[in-house]
This record gives sequence, structure tokens and C-alpha cells, in this order.
Amino acid sequence: MRTSSPETFKQLSPSEFFYRNKEIAGFTSPARALYQTVRELLENALDATEAHGIHPEIIVSILREDPSNLNHITVEVEDNGIGLPPQVIPDAFGRVLYSSKYKYKQSRGMYGLGAKMAILYGQLTTGKPFEVYSSTPRSKNIYYFKLLIDVKKNEPIVLERGVWEKRSNWHGTIARLTIEGEWNRRTREQVLVYVKRTAIVTPYADITLLMPALDSEERGVNDVEVHRFPRVTELMPKPPRESKPHPMGVDLEMLKLMLAETRSRTLTSFLTREFQRIGEKKAGEILRSAGLEPDRDPKSLTRDELKNLYKALRAESYISPTSDSLSPIGPEIIEVGLRSAFEPEFVAVITRKPKSYGGHPFVVEGGIAYGGKLLERLDKVALESLRGQRGPLVVLLRYANKIPLLHDERADVAWTVVDPEKFPWRATYKLNENDVVVVLIHIASTKVPYKGVGKESIAQVEPIEQEVRVLVQELARRLRDFLSSKRRESEAMERLATFLKYIPEVSRSLALIASDGSRENGERLAKALEEKLKSLAYEIVGLKKKDDVMRGERA
Amino acid sequence: MTSYPDFQDSADLSARRESITILRETFTKLVAMIERGDEPRLVLPKRTLDNTVYDKRRKLLLLGDKKITRRLLDEGETRRFMQTVLIASIIYEALINNEYPTIRDLFYRGKHTIPPVLANDEPVNTWDEQKESDTVLCDIEVLTGKLREEMLILSKEKGKVVGNMRLRSGGDVIDLSKMGHGAYAIEPTPDLIEFLDYDAEYVLVVEKDAVFQQLHRIGYWRKHKCLLLTSAGQPDRATRRFVRRLNEELKLPVYVLTDSDPYGFYIYSVFKIGSITLSYESERLATPSARFLGVMMSDVFGDDPPLEEVSSEETEDADKVGIKRELKERYVEALRKFGYKWRLAKKPYLSSEERKRFIIKATHRDVARAIELVGYDVAKALLGKEPKIRSGKGGEKVKRSPGYPWFKDPKWIKEIGIFLLTRSKLEIEAVVSKGLKFLTEEYLPRKIETKDWLE
Repeated sequence: MRTSSPETFKQLSPSEFFYRNKEIAGFTSPARALYQTVRELLENALDATEAHGIHPEIIVSILREDPSNLNHITVEVEDNGIGLPPQVIPDAFGRVLYSSKYKYKQSRGMYGLGAKMAILYGQLTTGKPFEVYSSTPRSKNIYYFKLLIDVKKNEPIVLERGVWEKRSNWHGTIARLTIEGEWNRRTREQVLVYVKRTAIVTPYADITLLMPALDSEERGVNDVEVHRFPRVTELMPKPPRESKPHPMGVDLEMLKLMLAETRSRTLTSFLTREFQRIGEKKAGEILRSAGLEPDRDPKSLTRDELKNLYKALRAESYISPTSDSLSPIGPEIIEVGLRSAFEPEFVAVITRKPKSYGGHPFVVEGGIAYGGKLLERLDKVALESLRGQRGPLVVLLRYANKIPLLHDERADVAWTVVDPEKFPWRATYKLNENDVVVVLIHIASTKVPYKGVGKESIAQVEPIEQEVRVLVQELARRLRDFLSSKRRESEAMERLATFLKYIPEVSRSLALIASDGSRENGERLAKALEEKLKSLAYEIVGLKKKDDVMRGERA
Repeated sequence: MTSYPDFQDSADLSARRESITILRETFTKLVAMIERGDEPRLVLPKRTLDNTVYDKRRKLLLLGDKKITRRLLDEGETRRFMQTVLIASIIYEALINNEYPTIRDLFYRGKHTIPPVLANDEPVNTWDEQKESDTVLCDIEVLTGKLREEMLILSKEKGKVVGNMRLRSGGDVIDLSKMGHGAYAIEPTPDLIEFLDYDAEYVLVVEKDAVFQQLHRIGYWRKHKCLLLTSAGQPDRATRRFVRRLNEELKLPVYVLTDSDPYGFYIYSVFKIGSITLSYESERLATPSARFLGVMMSDVFGDDPPLEEVSSEETEDADKVGIKRELKERYVEALRKFGYKWRLAKKPYLSSEERKRFIIKATHRDVARAIELVGYDVAKALLGKEPKIRSGKGGEKVKRSPGYPWFKDPKWIKEIGIFLLTRSKLEIEAVVSKGLKFLTEEYLPRKIETKDWLE
């Protein structure tokens, strides 16, 4: 029995509803709330830039502004994104469920709830208003708002506003809020790892992270710790395109909303205009099996008719959803990210073709990194995850729609695949027990099937698991090929070294006999024989004489 | 240096010239191969058991026709190739410089450190032990067909000889009857010895130096008109070559006297047939007609050992007498099976009382060697079960040795049968303890007179 409807929602203001359920959004403790706030603002900043083709330049500042209250922590995030026009700013930040993100395409946050949760949380724990500066690229001005949210009415209250004329061509948004948080080693580590891992998949972004330096605070000084993640590539992923929902990707509630909001006058037109993959013919079939007249007004359906329509919609088969709405990172960018983060000896990257589950398109992509400086570059969370592994050791970097997932690793579909207890890293892919690999897996989808409300792990959805498995198998195979050719080469080098070691002795001995004891002739002959034999040795092991193997050779 | 040849034996000089020529020919071929752009390869006779053949007619252990190719550019062979060429150059250098290196010298002259090629490699030595340089020396011998003596390589002298004989060595005439209490040390290059005159009817080779001295001091060779010789244990090449020449050139019969145990039997075998590791030189070193005079197991026990002296220690069974009887029956059966046609009526030289005093219990290594000599089949027939020896870890393993053909002779099977039956051995010194006179006036003369020897 369903009793809830949008109407009943509205009776309880969305702001109030979300505030009462703040743990859903991850604001469970002051420490967690701080981490969550940084995340939400940073993700918004990235969405405001890269989705519009702008190379992100982002400054994240965590500040203790109020010396009298150490638990009041200000988070400020500045981006160079498209900004917001002044007329929508109050609503965009001050009204829950008002968002540019209701559209059907991949983005980091869905529905823009997170930032508003942070604002609400900050307002209710510190009473301090939210501040925003913003300017669009075309605007001649920079606009400033100081806002509070009226929780009961779900309305913004504008406390102050300001306008400045722009002297530069700056555009973007600076969002600033103060929450009751907790700044300690653990939060510092979480925030740092989060930003680091974000930087791995956004090597085209320039991110600066400023935080209170804990060490200095212990000495009674307020130093700031600065971490720079400079841009290392100009390449950017193709931005996602908005698309209509796929018929298999909507549930009954969504169908109801779509019917209520549509401007179409007939059901046929509703189906063909509001959905992808439904043509005239398909619409006719659906309506026939739902027992509905094609020219019925969409807004006139009874509850039972609605259910029939939903059933008929689900019963049809369709072409898979379009992947235009997805924005995979792409192999080139993942490679750049892995290389600059770990300076590994070997990297392989793959972006799989789009697939779908339940009407939602998704792409699985990722990379594997091995050797080089990888071990010394592992972050704290990675090192923790290595504890208790028996080897080969697997560091899993998980991403959903470019957001790094740090918690609940073992519950995640990707771990199910890469788990060294189950995946044949040793038997099939010939890794040694003490080998360490970094496996990066990004799942991009218009709807990521998270496990639970914490959004920290992805469910074991069959088509996704299958894609992840194929991806990891292919990555592991490439690593194995690399390792075996490396082993072959080092074997060839060892053979060569053995030959080169003994050749001078052989040449000298032979020359001594052949030159009948004449020292001068002997030396000349020995040199000649040595040269000939060395060339032969290179030929036999299959290495070229100019190869690196000469590096260690002694004159 | 140039004046030295004037003081040297002309035999030395011609040997030297020949060796120089053949070494130069052999290795200049390798140089030509390399200059052509080919990988240098050495083809030499294979020196392993499976390429050792027993020539029944000539009664010699010889090298077969199998060859091996040794390559420089094969990681398994490159080191050995280098060592082979290295020792050749050292020998060559010594030859042209008119030197006489010992095998120890060769080892030291060739031993030096080769720097590593890869930075993380350790330096290695050309060789670490003399065993390595000795091995490639053997390779050079089979490769060139020249023995070390012909390449004027010396080794430590072990063999000694006395008797009524004069010979010339290095230009000096030596009278082997005027060596005082000492003896003539057989020189490392016995081919350069010239026999002048002699008055002897046979050669007596004694394994033990101590027994040689006793026989020498008592004047055995004077009284019995023989050349008395000792190898002081395992015979070296010079001693073997010297014995061979006495036999071949002077037609003197050669009798060998060793301990009565499988090791003694093997020493005789080396004189007579040659050793497996050096089978390529048997043709020149072995004395196929050498006779094993003793001490035989049948000299000690007779050929029908008394039942109470059969060893039953193998079993923990209470019925030891039954076991012993069974073992003896096996022994007799085995003798018949392998062609022993005579009556078992030989009387021992020692009484059972004397045996109790002189006999030593055989060790498991003696037993292993006995099985090796006669081989799996014969041993199995003698023991009535799989011939087992102790393995390294204290367990037991079956010994599957093929056996040496000349020990598969029925008379030898009898001797080794008695050994396995009694698990006992006897040193020659024990015979001396019975009385030196017994050895010189009774045992040796009677054995030779009655032709109580093995071949």
C-alpha cells in the first residue's frame, strides 16, 4: 500500500524533512559533517566547470575563523565555473529540491541536495548564514548574497546582497559556510585522501587545498597547510548530454510526475516526446496493451490506468538506453591521472563500451598501475586497506560518477571482483605474493545503484559486476603481458651478461695461442675476437647492441 | 732460458714440440670460426659412463664414439667453454716457455677474478677449486689426444719401486737395487723412462706403502727375484703407466696385493682396466693381464665359510641359524646361476681363531661398493632380495648399479659373495700380524706357485 505522494511531501517542508533525516546525507557527527561539506561543495564546483567545458580551477579552504569557538569551521570553495545569474542564486542555495540537476544526465551530485544539506546543517549548528559570490561569464558584475533558509517554509531569507562591477573576466562561484565540525587527524586524513583521489581522475583540474595545520595548532600558532594538485593535462572528458529517460529507467512515482508535468496533450505524444527509444509504433503497442486510447489526455488518467500504463511500459522491450548522457573519463585521462599520482612503472587503462541495467546506461572504465614509485605514493586509506590482505596486494580506487568512494570498500561490487582471495591474480595473472597493484575502477551512470543511503559502495548489480570483471580481467592480462615480457627481457639480459663476462677471457686465451706468444699481436687479435664475439652474443640473445643493456657494461 | 734445452732430455723436447703443434692447430681453428662470424664450438669425446665401453677382447675400459659439442654462447656451457680455452692457453704458454707445471700450478695460474658486467652482479672467479681446472684438463686431453704427461704437466709422485733393475730417467742411470732403505719415486712422465737391464721374474704391486716397506726391508725382492712396487693407495697415472710398461715391454707378469675388501678389489680394477672418469687414457695406462693375488675373501674364509661366521645382523629374527643357513644356500645357488663350476673346497689361510682377531666388520659403504662392483642382478641373487644401501637421510634405497663386466666373472662373484655373506673385511696388515714370514715365505709364494689368483 502506497500512502505517500508529492502532496504529502509538501506538507512537511522538504528542508525540514531533510534536516530530520540528516544522517541520510552523511551529516552524522561533526567530523563526518565537515568531510561531507567539503565533498558536496567540491563536487558542485567540478560540475559547474568541467560539464561546461571549462578546465576547473578550484580552491578549497578549511578555516578556523572564530578563535573563540574552535568547533566552528568555515568551508569555502571557489571555482571558475559558469556561475549563477543573480535571480536564481537565493533559490539555488536556499530552496531544497530546486536544482539544475533534475535533468537526465550523469553528474556528481544528484538533485543538488548535498550542498543544501550542508547549508542547513551549518545554519542549525552555528546559526551563521551562508555566503555566495557568483558571476556568469557574460555578466559584467559579481553578485553577493548572504542567506539563511527558512526551514518551515523552504524559502531563502536574503540577509544581504551586493553587486560589484567586474574588473577582470573572472567567472565562477565562491560558496562559504560555517558549520559545527571537528578538525582532527582523522578528518584531515579523510579530506586529504578525498581530494587526492579526486585529483587522480581530474588531472585536467587545478585544485588547491588549504587546511588548518594541526601541528602548528599544537604549538599555539595558526598556520595553514597547503596542498597543490596542479593540472597535468589539457584533455577533458566529453561533457554529458542531456537525454530523456529510458522507459525501463523510470519507476511509478516518476511516471506520475512526468504525466503531471508534461505539456503533451495526448498519450502518444507524451510517450514519444518524453522518453527515448519510443517511436510512434512502439507507443501504439504500449497503449494497446495498456488498453488506453492513443489520444487520451495524459493528465486524465485514473490510478488504475496509470498502473496499467506503467505495466505496459515495463513489458515492452527497447533498444538499450543512449550513452550520450554519460561522461566517462576516458583512458587517456585515467592514464595521466594514474601516472602523475603514482609514477608507476606500468599502467594499463580501458574504457568499456556503454551497457545498461534496468534502463540506466552505464560505463565501466579503469586502470591498473604497477611498480615504480607506487608503493611510496599510496595514501593512508589505501595502506589501511592493505592490512590483512595476504598478497598479491590490491589497492582499489573506486569512483562513481568521478566521485571517489572511500568507505565500505569490502561491500562494493568492485571489491567483489578484485578481491585477491577470489580473483586469480596469482594463478592466472602470474603476480607474486609481494606484488602490489593499484586498480582504479570508475562506474559512470545516470543512476548509480548505491548500497544503502551512505552512498559509499555500489551494489552487486549483475550487468555492472560482469563489466567490472571483464575490465579487471583485461587489465590484469595486460599487466601479465608486460611482466612476462619484462621477465623475458631480463632473462635475455642475464644471458647476455654471462656471455659478455666470459668473452674477454676466451678472446685473450685464444689470441695467446693463435699469436704464438707475441704480446702485441696477441692483444690486437684479442680485441678483434672480443668485438666479433660480443656482436654474436647480442645476436644470439636477440638484443640490439645499442640497447640499454650496455649501460652497465664495463669498458 | 735459451740455454736450458742443452741440459734437458731430448725426449722432453720432442714431446714438447708435438704438444705445442697440436694445441695450436686445435685452437687456431676456433679463431678461424670466430673470424668467419661463426659461434666457436668445440667438439670433443664424451667422458661419461654412457660413453665408456668395455673392450672384452683387449680387456680395457675405453672411450666410446659419442661426442659432445661445447658452445660458448649457451648459458649452460659458457663458463666451461671459457675454462677449457683458459687451461689450453695456460698449458700452451707453459709449453712454449719451457716449463713443467703441476696440475696445482695450472689451477693457480688460471685462477683470477672476472669483473661483473651488470652493476648488481658479483665478480666471479675463473675457477674456484682445483677440481674445476682438473676437469677441463681432462677435456683438453681427450680433445687433443695428448695425455698430460706428454704436455709435460707434472703431478705429485706417489708410486715407488725397488728391484734388480737399471733405468735411465732424465739422462741419469738409476739402479733400483741401490736405493738403500728408500725407493725410486716413479717420475710423473714415465714414458720418458728408458729401461736398461733387469733381473726379475715378476712385478709385485702392493697397495699399502707400509707393507711395501716391510717387504723391502726384509729383502723380499732380492730373494724372490721381483720388482716391488707400491701405489700408496689409489694408483696415480704415472704408477699405472709404469706398471703397464713393465708388463707390456718387459713381459713381466704383474701381481696386485691389496686389502681384502671391495675398495681393495677396486684398486686392482683400476690397475687392470682403468677408471671410468679417465677411461680415455686406459689404452695407455691399464694393464689388462694384471692378476689379483690377494688378499682374497676365500683366503680368509675358504670358499665355504663356516655357518657361524655368516652374518645375520641384517635380521632381528630369533631364528638366526635358520637365516644363516638360508643365506649360505643363496650364495651357493647364486654361484651356480652365474656359472661357477668348481667344488667349494678351498682351505683358508687363517684359522677361525685368527679370523676372530684380525677381521674387521664391514661398513655400509663397503657393502654399497660391493654391490656396485657386481651390480644389481648378482647382488640380488646373492642376497635373495633387493640390494639396498643407506641413503643420505638415514633411510634405505635400492642400488641399481649395472656392475662392472669383469667383476661378473664367477670367481669374482664368489669373492664378493663371501664378503656379503660374512660382512667382513681384512687389511693386509693383519696378514703381517700373523707373521711377516708367513706373508713372504708362505702366503705369497704358495699363491703364485698354485696360481691362486684372479684375473
